[in-house]
Amino acid sequence: MKIFDHLAHLDRRIIFLLVALAVIIPMVAPLNLPVDITKPVKNVYNKVESLPPGSIVLISTDYDPGSEAELYPATEAFIEHCFRKDLKIYMMGLWPAGSELGNIALNKIAQSYNKRYGEDYINVGYRPGGAVMLLSLGRNFSDVIKVDYQGTPIDSLPLGRRVKSAKDLSMVMTFSAGDPGILHWILYFHARYGVTICGATTAIMAPQQYPYLSSGQLTGLLGGLKGAAEYETLVDRKGRGLRGMDSQSIVHLLLVGFIVLGNVILLYQRRKK
Amino acid sequence: MINAIGIWIAALLTLAIYSFLYKDNPFYKIAENIFVGVSAGYWAVVLWYDFAWPNLFEPFFTKGQWYNIFPIFIGLLMFAPLIPKISWMIRIPLTFTMGVAMAVSITQIVQGDIFPQLQATFLPLKGIPVFNVISNILIIGGVIFTLTYFYFSKEHKGALGIGAKIGIWFMMISFGASFGYTIMARVSLFIGRIYFLLHNWLGVI
Repeated sequence: MKIFDHLAHLDRRIIFLLVALAVIIPMVAPLNLPVDITKPVKNVYNKVESLPPGSIVLISTDYDPGSEAELYPATEAFIEHCFRKDLKIYMMGLWPAGSELGNIALNKIAQSYNKRYGEDYINVGYRPGGAVMLLSLGRNFSDVIKVDYQGTPIDSLPLGRRVKSAKDLSMVMTFSAGDPGILHWILYFHARYGVTICGATTAIMAPQQYPYLSSGQLTGLLGGLKGAAEYETLVDRKGRGLRGMDSQSIVHLLLVGFIVLGNVILLYQRRKK
Repeated sequence: MINAIGIWIAALLTLAIYSFLYKDNPFYKIAENIFVGVSAGYWAVVLWYDFAWPNLFEPFFTKGQWYNIFPIFIGLLMFAPLIPKISWMIRIPLTFTMGVAMAVSITQIVQGDIFPQLQATFLPLKGIPVFNVISNILIIGGVIFTLTYFYFSKEHKGALGIGAKIGIWFMMISFGASFGYTIMARVSLFIGRIYFLLHNWLGVI
């Protein structure tokens, strides 16, 4: 068939253009496709819901602008949920740029909930050192953290004074794009100090985390933009995650179509030979 | 105003990078070189101001922690290969780094990774709903057959060969799931950039 011969030699730029249109059109004209809630995401939500007001949640923003598209929407949704439940947020970052990105989300949402810096939330910024730093941190926070991200002594902040060791934390939520990241929190904070760990990871990393979910070392997981969209659905917040899911779904349909078409063409060409 | 300039620069650089999809061109090359240069510069500043200065040099120069001279000296030995006569001395910092890394990680990997994961494979097959029995059989079987594939002390023939082949199937399904997630991640990154262009730059959504 002529059409199959023609499609077999299709200029790949046409495919790029179709993918671009599949992303842009649903973004401009949202379809509001439903988002199913998966168990790992629900577990994160349930954990936050189960905490009494005033509990301290450590949020670690372990990513950079390269994975901002996937993890920032989840960061905003999670912070909003914590403030809504009147939890205290202790933010830090194992990646330098992640700390800044987390700060943007924290300050933006704290304003809308009238939360006060130092009492309801603090950010101690980027903390280098990976595994060695986490080992010391869990034992005694003041060994590692003496000032916040602005250089304010940590003991002068009420929330800073409350956190002395890992035992003072109700849970850790890591937004992780690689190393150091979620695995370090599991190894050095859950295994050693028994702290509940939840995480949001890039979609690429998500499958690697499922064994930790099965073993109970990881309580809950938001995988990629889909995880963020699910969490936004749970906390009833229409953010970037949900907005992007229409595009994501359409592109996936398009790609599945391409894969099927490619295989049909391949079979046709083999039969022809 | 500064924010607007930043958004324009980011938008134009984004378009320059994506222009490679049409064909290689000077705009792409400029954006690529800026990215590499900025990344290297950024990391140099971060490593100095967040790592080396506050932890090593500042205590040495301003707080009189004289013993910091030892890590400074060991760190400087990393540059030993630049002087051929003393190039062998790089073994000292490398050995030290390897030793610390091993000491910090081995205990924790055994305690926090190997044992809990092993424990999580000992799953019940009785007294639970049928669906869970099937799920547990798949997990136990998957682990055993996949490990069989990596058993190289005997030729993969007979029962061992069949086990190894089933192990390959489990691995293929795992790789397929990972590949699916990888595509989703790449599409998500593209969605992020398009959102930036349409929302922050053009303001149409």
